[in-house]
Amino acid sequence: MSLSHLSFYPAFTLSNLGLAFHRTHLISTLLCLESIMLSIYIALPIWSVENQTSSPTLITILIVAFSACEAGTGLTTLVASTGTHGSDHLHNLNLLQC
Amino acid sequence: MNPYAKLILTLSLLLGTTITISSNHWMMAWTGLEINTLAIIPLISKSHHPRAIEAAIKYFLVQATASALILFSSMTNAWFTGQWDITQLTNPPSCLLLTTAIAIKLGLTPFHFWFPEVLQGSSLITAMLLSTMMKLPPTTILFLTSHSLNPTLLTIMAITSVALGGWMGLNQTQTRKVLAFSSISHLGWMTIIIIYNPKLTLLAFYLYILITSSIFLTMNTTKTLKLPTLLTSWTKAPMLNTTLMLTLLSLAGLPPLTGFLPKWLIIQELIKQEMTTTAMIISMLSLLGLFFYLRLAYCSTITLPPNPSNKMKQWLTKKPTNTPISILTSLSISLLPLSPMILTIT
Repeated sequence: MSLSHLSFYPAFTLSNLGLAFHRTHLISTLLCLESIMLSIYIALPIWSVENQTSSPTLITILIVAFSACEAGTGLTTLVASTGTHGSDHLHNLNLLQC
Repeated sequence: MNPYAKLILTLSLLLGTTITISSNHWMMAWTGLEINTLAIIPLISKSHHPRAIEAAIKYFLVQATASALILFSSMTNAWFTGQWDITQLTNPPSCLLLTTAIAIKLGLTPFHFWFPEVLQGSSLITAMLLSTMMKLPPTTILFLTSHSLNPTLLTIMAITSVALGGWMGLNQTQTRKVLAFSSISHLGWMTIIIIYNPKLTLLAFYLYILITSSIFLTMNTTKTLKLPTLLTSWTKAPMLNTTLMLTLLSLAGLPPLTGFLPKWLIIQELIKQEMTTTAMIISMLSLLGLFFYLRLAYCSTITLPPNPSNKMKQWLTKKPTNTPISILTSLSISLLPLSPMILTIT
């Protein structure tokens, strides 16, 4: 596994762990989600390097566009939770327990 | 909700589903999944109730993570094999990641914790959409990549899904949560057979959609959100109550009704593949589900509530019967004799 591969597995894994173990605020979760998409976006040229092609692809534009839409939706849910629950603290999201 | 917004959101749901189903490239599959996630968030949080907003937040976080995992697994596969074809995922770490990502998207154990809460926070029609249509793209991806999934992990997740769906549904009084656990348990049945005969997974999925839609639509007509309401729903639409009992027993998988067909075929296929112990284990574990289905059927039809009601017809609902409910209900009760024809089609 080359060095570039070796540097993107930890990037993705750390962002995923940050998403899974977020403790207080919803916005830190959204930040980790953004960093997941960013690590995928930055790692995408490795595929072009491996295949030695330098043609432009649609993949990067699709990733950026949908990740921006997702970030917007995440921020909307953040604002909505501030409106209904008073803050974005995660221990306030306990209305639906079994 | 603004009717134009509702139209755009519904069309986006159909678009996302169609894009994922008809995709050959992983990027298209991911795009369809993302469009579905983005479009259903406003539908979940339509009523602006705190519970609905909380359900929308939980749904969004889980689905966005799972989509990112799918994208990352396909990207690592593209590094090593140079192509993005959905049916040719061969890199072993990618296969493991993809299995986990689809399990998170569908709601298999141990990634099922979000599903009852999200269903509880949304309205009955949105809950129906979440249980039936939002499971269609991940099930399609499961079907397309069935040969490159990790069999051990899938079998463990399937058996524990059936077990936990049965056990955790026993203590529930809210009907949406009961249906969520029934969904988890049915997903376990669908997942156990995917590596041996993927067409049986699709058959089980279609019949599950049929029966669950008829139950959700029946409950939406009588607005039964919890068990005490179910006790007095016989006065609102008596015939619908009778068919609700039969449809619940069909969901449980009792023989003369439709829900028996997928269970029977799955057990037969498992025994053919020398997995008799597994077949016995999941059959025994789905007895737990049978208990809460029987409890729902008992509360709706077999017993009278303790509070007295002098007239049989309490008040008239707006439209006690309509065509979709009647078609779906009659299909979900009486489709078993057509099983040879169904087997030739799927």
